[in-house]
Amino acid sequence: MFDYVGNRKYFFILSSALLLIGLVALIFRGGLNLDIQFKGGTQIEIEMESGDFDTDKADKVGTEAIGKSIHTQKSQTLDSKNSNESISFLVVKSSGKLTDDERNKVLTALKSEFNVKEDGEMIVRDVDPSIGSELLTKGLIAVILSTLLLILYIGIRFNIMSGLLAGFTAVVAVIHDVLMMVAVYAVFNIPVNDSFIAAVLTILGYSVNDTIVIYDRIRENSKISRKESIKDLVNNSIAQSMSRTINTTVSTLICVITIYVFAVYNGIGSMQEFTFPLIIGLISGTYSTIFIASPLWELLKEKQAKKKAAARPAKA
Amino acid sequence: MKLSSGLKSFLILAIIAAMTAIVLVGFNVPGIKYTIGKAYDSIRYGIDISGGVSAVLSAPEGVTPTDDQLETVKGIIDTRLEGKQIYDKTVTVDKVNRRVLVEIPYKKGSESSDPYETIADIGATAMLSFREVDEDKIDPETGDYVMTDRIVLQGSEIESAVAETNPETQMAYVRLIFSDDGAKKFEEATERLVGKKIAIYLDDQMVSAPIVNGKITGKDKAVIELGAYDPQQSITQAKELAAIIRSGALPFKLEAKDVNHISPIVGENALNISIYAGAVAILLVWLFMLLYYRVPGLVADIALLGQAAAVILILVLSGMSLTLPGIAGMILTVGMSVDANVIIFERIKEEIKSGKTVQAAVDLGFDRAFTAILDGNLTTLITAVILYYFGTGAVRSFAITLGLGVILNFLTAIFATKIVLKSLAEIRALRKPWLFGAKGGTANV
Repeated sequence: MFDYVGNRKYFFILSSALLLIGLVALIFRGGLNLDIQFKGGTQIEIEMESGDFDTDKADKVGTEAIGKSIHTQKSQTLDSKNSNESISFLVVKSSGKLTDDERNKVLTALKSEFNVKEDGEMIVRDVDPSIGSELLTKGLIAVILSTLLLILYIGIRFNIMSGLLAGFTAVVAVIHDVLMMVAVYAVFNIPVNDSFIAAVLTILGYSVNDTIVIYDRIRENSKISRKESIKDLVNNSIAQSMSRTINTTVSTLICVITIYVFAVYNGIGSMQEFTFPLIIGLISGTYSTIFIASPLWELLKEKQAKKKAAARPAKA
Repeated sequence: MKLSSGLKSFLILAIIAAMTAIVLVGFNVPGIKYTIGKAYDSIRYGIDISGGVSAVLSAPEGVTPTDDQLETVKGIIDTRLEGKQIYDKTVTVDKVNRRVLVEIPYKKGSESSDPYETIADIGATAMLSFREVDEDKIDPETGDYVMTDRIVLQGSEIESAVAETNPETQMAYVRLIFSDDGAKKFEEATERLVGKKIAIYLDDQMVSAPIVNGKITGKDKAVIELGAYDPQQSITQAKELAAIIRSGALPFKLEAKDVNHISPIVGENALNISIYAGAVAILLVWLFMLLYYRVPGLVADIALLGQAAAVILILVLSGMSLTLPGIAGMILTVGMSVDANVIIFERIKEEIKSGKTVQAAVDLGFDRAFTAILDGNLTTLITAVILYYFGTGAVRSFAITLGLGVILNFLTAIFATKIVLKSLAEIRALRKPWLFGAKGGTANV
């Protein structure tokens, strides 16, 4: 049987190395690629006659029209009515909010220089910078509060595993997965928008559930035999739950990978940007359940036991 | 005993079949004229899928609106949008973040109106005022009279407003109904200002400036003429204006914090692909469960179908809209529902391997798996509740489908799957270890 507990230092090193890569990417890129939902500003997507246009020129035209820095991009999506044709959009982004007047000026300037589709689609998003910071603080509060409640819940339900300690290591595993997702966003420069929140939350829920099931096995086994060493207890419990862990991950991955493949095949960027981090998160969630949460719990539990053993003779 | 557990299973299967049928094809009760429409068609989609306009409106900085004020604002916005013939809309009050969310889905075939205009209209504070003006003071840009502070009467003294049509010209206008106080003030002013103009302002914009021909007595004598070019346009304008005046003034100024206009093309694309992808994904998961766990796998597949149908039915019945993050929540619960079944079936296999009979193994498997499923689902439910409380639009939508899925998942795994599988285990022909995915086993059947 594989010694999950004995080999834990290799897995701790692997996780730290991956997270370090994420951190380097984060520093190198100067932070996450925040979309306007978080930064505030205006984004306009204009339907074009064809995808054949120069975004550098569009940058210049837009910036000259209003004297504010404008950044443009190309984006494409398949036409749902005619799957052989794709629709091209010119995406205009401004980090400051544009007034109605400024927006119209940019549009008129672009229309005169580029082949904008007559009566085409136009998608506008206008976000106040305060919304973004609010979204972040509220999101953080939600994550912190739910981790606190998780520690408390696990503390009560798993008191045979020195509850709060088990709660703490479960939360370490969850935070490990969330940081892994952030690293993926940093390394692949994926824009951070609403779907980032949904993706992180999905992994948070998945990872906790995954860890709890192994904890449940440890709880059950420690009731049956009290003679087993903690190390064997953890190793056995992980091994006994292994086919469940793998089968659940496989079936969930089947769902997400199918959606990812469909999104890549049809060129739907927003869905790729959502499902790719999910795939990484699911793998990370399973990995942290097996190699981080319970082995770390064993480490801390042993330390606690040693401390108690050391304290006892001193008292006597 | 045998009969009753068989009957229970039959009932569960019948309920799942009925729910699935309602979702996919609708329901026809023969003989009576009673039909339930295809629920699948009645799913309301969030504007990230259907396309449309969404806006987050809040009070200006420094103003903290009360719950009552927020409810008033919601009522006013509802009335104003209905005045613009927009009925399919969602206006929600977010009491935690103290703001109002407005979502107007894109309507197929309708002219797409300017989203900014719509948002500006619902955000107008709508203070109506009648003022004396200096006829020589004209704003050069608009051509309107400069607003004075000699107010004849204002919003609170107007009880109601109705749109009416002049039978001769076919042009519509708005008739105002004053309160007793308002009527008195109006009578007094018209007596004093004969031959002069009284201008009518909506907020700081002049609507019209009629000349006073003589003293006007009565509550319903004042009308606002509109500068429309054709009768049709004047009717629309008059109705809108009357609705705005009727709905009253907003208790505070609304600022648009996040205006999002989404094209129906992009959302529709994403939805179509999600549906295909979702169908393929569910088929693959079904196959996996069936091949790996055999008889229990089949039961789990049926339970999964029932769970998916129940989530859709609850969404349709409650009128909640499904968004892309909501779909993400559903995917997660499909994963968790499979997980609950996997935990149970692995336990059953273990018990079979340890030499128990299939029937005993099924009983023990459910008992042993119970705590893991309970704790796993409850912790996820805790997360869902907190996300719902703190979250805004997209996060809330995710929290709802997640929470709903977790509860249903618990019910199906603990009750439906259990009852059906136990009654199947009573059938002698099915009591073979390999039918439960276990390889060896020394069980004597």
